[in-house]
Amino acid sequence: MSYTLTGRIQSRLVATLPPLLVALGIHRWWAVELVALMLLFGIALDVCVYDRVFEYQPGWLALPLGALELGLIVLSMRMPVTWSTLGLFALGWGTAQLCSHALFPRFQLEYAQAGGELGRLGALVAAVVAAVTLAGIAGAVAVIPPTVHLHGVVRGPLVINHAQTIVGGTVRGGIIINASHVTLKDVTVIGGENGIDVENADHVMLDGVHVLGVTLDGIHVRRGSVMVKDCHVSAPHGPWVQGIDISFAMDKHMSMIEGCTITGVREGIVTHWVMADIKHNHVSGTSLRGIDMGEMSMGTIEHNTVVDSKGVGILCLDHSECDIARNTISGAQLPIQEQYFAHATLHKNTIEE
Amino acid sequence: MRCAIVGSGLAALATYATLRHAGVASAEIAVFGTHADPTSVWRERAASIHQQRMRSESDGHLAAPAFPGLAAREGTVTAIAKSLTNRYHPTVKLFLRHADQVRQQSGWDASFAERRVAHVRAGEDGFTIDGEGSFPHVLVATGHPGLVHVPGAVHAYEPHEYAAKVAVVGAGMAAATEWRNALAAGSEVVSVRRREPLRRPLNVPRAYFSKRGLAGFHRLAPAARVGVLHDLGRPSYPPGREWDADVPVADAPPPGFQVIAATGFRKGWREDALLADLVAAHDLETHDRYLALAPDSTVPTLTDDRRTLSIAGVAGQWAFPAADTIAGAKYAARAFTRRVCRTR
Repeated sequence: MSYTLTGRIQSRLVATLPPLLVALGIHRWWAVELVALMLLFGIALDVCVYDRVFEYQPGWLALPLGALELGLIVLSMRMPVTWSTLGLFALGWGTAQLCSHALFPRFQLEYAQAGGELGRLGALVAAVVAAVTLAGIAGAVAVIPPTVHLHGVVRGPLVINHAQTIVGGTVRGGIIINASHVTLKDVTVIGGENGIDVENADHVMLDGVHVLGVTLDGIHVRRGSVMVKDCHVSAPHGPWVQGIDISFAMDKHMSMIEGCTITGVREGIVTHWVMADIKHNHVSGTSLRGIDMGEMSMGTIEHNTVVDSKGVGILCLDHSECDIARNTISGAQLPIQEQYFAHATLHKNTIEE
Repeated sequence: MRCAIVGSGLAALATYATLRHAGVASAEIAVFGTHADPTSVWRERAASIHQQRMRSESDGHLAAPAFPGLAAREGTVTAIAKSLTNRYHPTVKLFLRHADQVRQQSGWDASFAERRVAHVRAGEDGFTIDGEGSFPHVLVATGHPGLVHVPGAVHAYEPHEYAAKVAVVGAGMAAATEWRNALAAGSEVVSVRRREPLRRPLNVPRAYFSKRGLAGFHRLAPAARVGVLHDLGRPSYPPGREWDADVPVADAPPPGFQVIAATGFRKGWREDALLADLVAAHDLETHDRYLALAPDSTVPTLTDDRRTLSIAGVAGQWAFPAADTIAGAKYAARAFTRRVCRTR
C-alpha cells in the first residue's frame, strides 16, 4: 500500500487503541510505557524513515519493520522484557495488521486509495488515542514514587511508610520498610537489630545495599516480596546473626536474591515458606549453614559460591522443593543436604574440599 | 430515479455494487447499456487472448469493500502468502465467478435496461438521457471506444487460432500474452514493435493508485499532466520469468506470417460517440485526447450541489491515470457514491 504520512500516523494511532485499553485496564506502568514507546518509535519512524523510504509498502514488510520497532522498544525499556511485554507488543502489531489488511478496507472503502487516511471519524479516534496515551503517561509520571538522596550519616531507625526511592547515604540503627514500591539504592546500614526490615510490603527493591554490624538479620523480610541485588552483609555483631532471612510469604510474589556477598554470619541466606530465586551469591565463613531453603519453600539455588561453611553448605529442609544447580561449595562439613521430606534436584554442582 | 449509469461493463457493475453497498435502493438506480451481462465484453476479450490470470492483485474485484479480496476468497495459505508479497494474481475464472456473484447479490438485473445511449444532456437539476427523465446523478462508463485494427491482421481481442508462423504487433500486456500463447501452440513467433515495452507489475506505478501519487498528479498543469499520461500509457507487461519469452523482434511482419494485432484500443474522447457529443453539446474542457475532470472524476462544469456527472473507465484518466483498471473503476464509483449519498 502507498501510505501518505497522515495515513500512516492515523492508521497507527487507531490500531493502537486495543493495546492502549489493555494497558489502562491492567493499570501497570510498564504497559503504559510500552504503548507510549510503541507510538513514539512508530511515529518517529513514520516521519523520519518510512514516509521517505517507502513509496509503496508491500504487506510482508510489516514483519521486519515490526521486529525493528520491537528491538528499539526493548533497548529503550528500563525493565526486563517479559512474556507480558512481548504479548502486549504482539497485540498492538497484530491489531495493526488486522486493521490495515481487513478492518479498515472493509469498513472504509476508500482506505487504500486515500493512502491509509481514515476520514473524519478516523482522525477523531486517532486524536483520542493520542490524547489518552499522553494523559496516561502524564498520570503515570505523576504517581512515580519520589526519589530522596541521602547525604552523610542519618540517625535511624529510618521508617519508610510511603513508596519512594532512597539513594545513597548511611543510616545508623536500621531501616524499616512498611510500604510497597520502595527502592533502596546504594544505601549503607550500620547497626540495629535488623539492618533492613521489610514488613508486609511488595515490590521492594534493595539494590547495592551494604549492611554492617547488626545483631539479628542483615536483611529481614516478613510477609513481603523483595528483589535484593548486589548487596553486602558482613561484620555481624554477635553469634546469631543471619545474612538474609525472607520468610512467610508463599502467598506473595516471588522474591529474588542475586549477586550478594555475605560473610561471617551464622546462616547466610535463609528462607521459610516463600518462593525465591537465589542466584550468583557469594556466601563465606558461616558458622552454621551457607544457604538454607526451608519450611515448605520453593525455589532455585544456582550459580552460588559457598565457601568455608562450618555446617551445611546448602540445605533443603522440611518439605521444601529446591532446584540446586551449578553451585560451587568448598570447605563445608556437609556440602549439600536434604532433610525432613524436602525434595532437592541437583544438577552440575561442584564440591571442593 | 436518483441516478443513472450509462454503460454496462465492469466499471458500471463496480459503480452499481458500490451504490448498493452504500444503501441506495435498486429502484433509485437505472443502468443503460448494451449487454445485460456486465462481464460479457471483457470475458470475450480475455478468452480471445487465452488469459488465465489477472494482472491485478487480490483487491482487483468488483465488490464494494476491498476486503475480503480474492486471495482471501480463494482461502489457501499459498494465495494469502503470495498476496502479502505482491505475487498473487487471481485466475480469470475466479475473478469472473466473483463478478457473477456481485451481479447477483447487488440486484443489477433489476436496474438494467438494454439501450445504446447516444446523448446525455445537462439540465438545471440533472441530466436527460436520450431525452428521457431527469437524473440528478449520472455516471458515464462507456468503456474503450473500439479496437485498433491493422489491415490484414486479426486483432488479439477477437477470437482466433495460431498459425505455424505468427507475428504479434504490439508490446503491451496483450502482446506478451500472445507471444506466450503462440509459443505454447508450437508456432514460430516474431514480435513487431516500435519501442521496447516497460516491465512493471501494474498498469501504472503503484503510487498512482493512492493519494500519495495522485495528489501530485492532480496539481500538475494541464500540459504536464498530458505528458505524464502519455508516459504512463506506454506499453508494459509484468516482470518475472513467467512473462519472459525469447522472441525475435522485427520491424514489420515477415511474409507468410499470420499477423495478430495486439495493438489495444482506440484512444481519446473523440473516438467515443457519446463523449464527443457531450463535449460538443456543453463545450467541455479537454486537453489533447483527455476529457478534463475534477480529482473526483466528475465533470466540473456539469457538477454542483444538485447534480453530478462522473466519468468512469478509460475516459476518466484525467482524474485517475489507471482509470481503465478495476481500481480505476472503483475510484470513480466511490466518489460518485459519495456525492449521491451526500445529496440524498
